[in-house]
Amino acid sequence: MILNPKFILQFSYYYGIKVITRGPSYIIASLVTPLTLLFVVYILTAGKLVEFAIVGGMISLIASIGLQSAGDASFFRLQLRIQELYVASDVTPIDYMLAMTLSFLAFSIPGIIVYSLLGAYYGLYSLQTSAFMAFLIVMLIISTSAIAFIISGLIKHIRNIWGITSILSIIMTIIPPTFYPYVDLQGRLGTDGLIYLLSLSPATPAAISAQMVFGLMPWNNSMFGAMMAFLIGETIIYFAIAKFLTRWREV
Amino acid sequence: MFTIEIKSIEKVHSGGKIAVNKISAEMNERVTTLIGRNGAGKTTLLRMLSTQLLPTSGTAVVEGYDIIKETKKVREMISSIPQEASPIGILTPYEQVKMYLVGRKFDRKDASSQAIEALETVGLGDAMNSPADTLSGGMKRKMFVALSIASEANMVFLDEPTTGLDPLSRFEVWSAIKKLKSNVLLTTHYMEEAENLSNEVYLMDSGKIIDHGTVKSLLRKFKDRIRIESQKQIADSYRVAGMYIKYAPIDETERYIREGATVKRITLDDLFIMRGVDLES
Repeated sequence: MILNPKFILQFSYYYGIKVITRGPSYIIASLVTPLTLLFVVYILTAGKLVEFAIVGGMISLIASIGLQSAGDASFFRLQLRIQELYVASDVTPIDYMLAMTLSFLAFSIPGIIVYSLLGAYYGLYSLQTSAFMAFLIVMLIISTSAIAFIISGLIKHIRNIWGITSILSIIMTIIPPTFYPYVDLQGRLGTDGLIYLLSLSPATPAAISAQMVFGLMPWNNSMFGAMMAFLIGETIIYFAIAKFLTRWREV
Repeated sequence: MFTIEIKSIEKVHSGGKIAVNKISAEMNERVTTLIGRNGAGKTTLLRMLSTQLLPTSGTAVVEGYDIIKETKKVREMISSIPQEASPIGILTPYEQVKMYLVGRKFDRKDASSQAIEALETVGLGDAMNSPADTLSGGMKRKMFVALSIASEANMVFLDEPTTGLDPLSRFEVWSAIKKLKSNVLLTTHYMEEAENLSNEVYLMDSGKIIDHGTVKSLLRKFKDRIRIESQKQIADSYRVAGMYIKYAPIDETERYIREGATVKRITLDDLFIMRGVDLES
């Protein structure tokens, strides 16, 4: 597999960076839910869980933006027919998916800055936690964009995508332990059954491992190992499935 | 070597509908047009030839490469503009053409200069830095033609490049298409477009090619004839879309006008009408 990094960077520069100034409402929209939840958590817990909500809010924001990219991927394929334009060229499905993914990562920069500033204010970031968060951001944007490509490859009518992404965004970024301690899920569906069920969303292993690395929860070797395996494994699996479901050459 | 050699290509959709019915053809003209009404199979054939859709059986060779076995090679040689393709509204034509060229492995500097040159060639020099959302329908289509010009692809596929445009915009897009130096295969249901742009025309109906040739050779059978259209029955006429149509010698024009019929000059439409294809359906 030979990538075309120049295309990936050029596409994400235009569709990720340049559009930030041309369509800021989209960025504000993506920030509204996690910031609202942060506010609600702050009020309801009298500030006790605010650090969970700041770390989890970043995870929720990135995962949500990745999932919302299903809307753009579908729009490009079904409405604008831009995907077809690239099919009949040197661009490979991997180049195209990575270009879109990187665009959305670039598009998340304002949100990343907001959450980084909040994290810095609460003294959450060290060199180690910053590096780990950067790793989580990369894994999350790849895995959730892959899920977005799977969805966009399956839908036949553009109208369906907006509802599906809204539902998935809530199920996959707010229900996981992004805004509360993961131990609250233990003892339901067996000892860790509910945790593993929710781990189908990459936001769950990302949030649980982050709670440990950021010192918000006691370190648990086996849980951390399981969550890393989940996150890396499902990123690879989701990306591989997406490659086959992007309808690059229709059958 | 033919530009396009189609070998018994067939596409059967999942519901069992045959969209393209074992077509074989050898195309070697610079601009070839597939013409037919909606649902004739033009787009399906073009999408198979441009490697966007896998045939059910058969294959084709485009610019010397097999569309199934040598897909990557074919894709390096072609540029294909899908039917009703629309630019990304928030990006400018310059950005979109450059992005496409970089995707085609152009050096970034070359991509930039080629994009500017191609956009100026199609008359979008002044609009190249405006968001595509602000462009008219004709300008948007011209942006895609510029993209194909700049790509320097050997073969350009254009699927209904002027559908839905007003007459002036269509004329502008034709003018842009004429600036393409590549071999071109285009689909249309506008007879006028085929006559204006192509060296060779393939007539398609119900997934099959029903005739082909140059516009001149195809119309030769109508030499010195006119088309008579009437709401009332005429002897030896075709009934198409509730109208009686007959082909008569040109010297009978006055007689039919006196009888209240409409007299029209022969166009490529007549090749379909005389086969009983209802162009209105």
